[in-house]
Amino acid sequence: MSYYLILLVGAVLVNNFVLSRFLGCCPFLGVSKRMDTALGMSGAVVFVMVAASAVTWCIDNWILKPNGLEYIHTLAFILVIASLVQFIDIAMKRFLPPLHAALGIFLPLITTNCAVLGVAELNFKGETGFFESVFFALAAALGFGLALVIFSGIREKLEHANPPRSFRGIALALVTGGLLALAFMGFSGLDKGLERAL
Amino acid sequence: MRTVKSSFKFKGGVHPAYHKELARGKAIERMPVPAELAISMSQHLGAPAKCIVKAGDYVRRGQLIGERNGFISVSVRASADGLVKAVEKRIGASGQYADSVIIDTTATAPEAAPSAEAFALKPIAWRSATREELLQRIEEAGISGMGGAGFPTVVKLSPPPNKRCEYLIVNGAECEPYLTADFRLMLERADRIRAGVEIMRKILGHPAVRIAVEANKPEAVVALEKAFADIEGNVEIVILPVLYPQGSEKHQIYATVGRIVPEPPQLPIDVGCVVENVGTVAAIADAVEKGECLVERITTVSGDVVNEPKNILAPVGVKYSDLVAFAGGTSAAPVKVISGGTMMGFAVSTLEIATTKTTSGILLLSEKSVFQFTSQPCINCGRCLRACPMRLNPAAISKAVEADDVATAERAHVMSCIECGACSFVCPAHRTITQFCRRAKSSIRARIAAEKARAAEASAKKESSK
Amino acid sequence: MVVAVLSIAFIGFAAAVLLAFADKFLSVREDPRIGLITAALPGANCGGCGFPGCDGYARALVAGTAPNGACAAGGGECAKAVAEILGVAATATEKRVALVKCCGSRSEAIRIGDYNGICDCNVAAATAGGDKGCVYGCLGYGACANVCPKGAISISDGLAKVDKRLCIGCGKCVSACPRRIIALVPASASIHVLCSNPEKGPEVRKVCGVGCIGCRLCERNSGGKEAGHFEFAGFLAKVNYSNPPFDSQIVSKCPAKCISEDPHTGSGH
Repeated sequence: MSYYLILLVGAVLVNNFVLSRFLGCCPFLGVSKRMDTALGMSGAVVFVMVAASAVTWCIDNWILKPNGLEYIHTLAFILVIASLVQFIDIAMKRFLPPLHAALGIFLPLITTNCAVLGVAELNFKGETGFFESVFFALAAALGFGLALVIFSGIREKLEHANPPRSFRGIALALVTGGLLALAFMGFSGLDKGLERAL
Repeated sequence: MRTVKSSFKFKGGVHPAYHKELARGKAIERMPVPAELAISMSQHLGAPAKCIVKAGDYVRRGQLIGERNGFISVSVRASADGLVKAVEKRIGASGQYADSVIIDTTATAPEAAPSAEAFALKPIAWRSATREELLQRIEEAGISGMGGAGFPTVVKLSPPPNKRCEYLIVNGAECEPYLTADFRLMLERADRIRAGVEIMRKILGHPAVRIAVEANKPEAVVALEKAFADIEGNVEIVILPVLYPQGSEKHQIYATVGRIVPEPPQLPIDVGCVVENVGTVAAIADAVEKGECLVERITTVSGDVVNEPKNILAPVGVKYSDLVAFAGGTSAAPVKVISGGTMMGFAVSTLEIATTKTTSGILLLSEKSVFQFTSQPCINCGRCLRACPMRLNPAAISKAVEADDVATAERAHVMSCIECGACSFVCPAHRTITQFCRRAKSSIRARIAAEKARAAEASAKKESSK
Repeated sequence: MVVAVLSIAFIGFAAAVLLAFADKFLSVREDPRIGLITAALPGANCGGCGFPGCDGYARALVAGTAPNGACAAGGGECAKAVAEILGVAATATEKRVALVKCCGSRSEAIRIGDYNGICDCNVAAATAGGDKGCVYGCLGYGACANVCPKGAISISDGLAKVDKRLCIGCGKCVSACPRRIIALVPASASIHVLCSNPEKGPEVRKVCGVGCIGCRLCERNSGGKEAGHFEFAGFLAKVNYSNPPFDSQIVSKCPAKCISEDPHTGSGH
């Protein structure tokens, strides 16, 4: 149990996908203007990451590893994730229209998002078990969501500010993102400490 | 009857300089009827009254000239005998134009004109009268709240049957700087307030009565204690700490009975309270016992350029310039003229505005007492948060509205704002925070009205297609 | 090598089959015309048509609940393209632009107070009725410029001015103005009366140096009443935009200097 707690803290705070691994920067900057779209995006990422890591684990362990094909895993993962997201998009529109209305426009945006691929890659490297992989994906997605929600909250406040012309828009967003990453550096070592404490 | 100190002190609030000494010692003086009166049809909250006279008519004091137009509305009566010169749009203190009846009081009455007695209301022996009779009289007399907002009194006194009034709170706080009209009224006409309280108590089904007076008016407390000495039932005079905005309905309720009025659209009656200004209470007594309509009120004319600051009993509809002339004119040209108090009043750009039933004061201020400022960006100091008596976040609201983001302001509960001005008062960056709140509120109200209209239109369309 | 190629091919094929299956049996079909019409509309999402954005208007068009030609920004060409997609005849719309009917600049129109509050006309108008002596005049605090989706309105010398070339005629400024002095007029008209004060001459003169005094010289100079280039409301001349005048003589002969020829073709900003 404590192992999963450490995994959670590690993925959400210490090795936050956006703020310390710098994966998924595109949606982090692109859909963080408003809190409600940020929440929608976070939901979509949780959904896709969990599904993608489950599928890629199966591909990895049932097709690639038995045949000694680890060296083409990136190619296989991209292929699988891209079609998976497309499939989820179509199926969701049919069976869960309210959920699709909430997350729909974000799904195509994360088809080949580096954060999604990153989770698969890290699971591949770590040679983790199935449940562990899926849990790690969930934790990573929650970390991404946390960063996105915090960032969008700050950006909503920044909208009301009146910065110098050259700082307006994405410039100030990047500066803010950098400061947020610095702030998250404060969590480094938390997982080690937790490990020792438990 | 007993006198108690308030045991509830609301959080927030400010202490502006009161300057009440200018007019507090001046007894109420009745002003002679001026040559011209301009009586607005929109002297209250809600729909303007429907004007029923036209140019050339001769009207008598107390004659009905504006009919109540809808539920939230009040009738309007002529304040003096005279000839209707015109019915035209005139600007009011709040900057809104409203139909006004212009009366020339110097004209002689034509022989065909009915006598004044024809319009006089008969006194009612209220102890034996029914509740409906009393309410009808209050409506006939055209009484609306005299504290400032001008809410129709009849509406306030007829709560829906499922809600019971437990407390009648009489508001004599008068927390606005400069104003002393209510203070003089309590001092000189405490017996009228007592009569009014007894009548209202009867109408509301005998609730407990709380009379709220700020601690800086001890003379008024003495006068009230004398007048109420032998009253029966649960009556208390509550002495409130001196703090602005103690006179706000919601804060008054909290200070006297410790109840908190929830967010709009909830009203004081939802927590079992009805709050009326002392002026309204006295007006009710006059209307019932003497048959006098609400056609005159006490207005404080004060400020440092006024030669003789005074509390003037003047007919409703008298021009500000006439009032100022009655107060001895000005020693220098005022830099700012405010209708109402300095915290919540309206700055006006001309003295050619007529008073209404809610004009509690006219302040003419010199350059010395007017603070000239330029607004600057918010420095996030948080003083407005501490000052806000509604516990809102005025800084966030003002910044959002400044960036045209009314939705965020609405999420920050801007609709609960009572526009008391405490935030603007304390702001070190001199931001016009209250004005931002007002702007957000008006655009939210406009949006809600538009939505309602659209919904009504859609349902009408559905009906017709059926 | 062969195993690798086959494996990837197999995964790819499986995914393709899955997607083909999903597309065939699961997908929800939309009217393709919605996409085509959205593409044909200007895409400014100005809301001038009364629908939430161009996409909303396209949906309403396809559903038949909106009339074609409600898009003032797109004009006739756009209506024609939409009509082609819908397969119905186009209704011609003339391009209309906003016009601020006031020319009382700071030097000409009297200000009766110092307004020191929020820079917004609606708020200024609610404060003692505004600081301008003329209650029909432009306050110049930019409520119209704030809502303009194209940045076509600029404020200079206490007056709002519309850049005719940038204006798309969405009409947002018309409803934003608390004084109701902005109107949509045909872009082809070149002569305008820039005043909205219907009071008598002396009353207007008291508050503004360039207000219309209702002398009717413009009507006389444009061929009299029969020509019908001007209409009068009280003591205010109005251009009859169904029959606008074009003679620039009218401009120079206006004694109040409130008639102007194409006043708002300036650069804007």
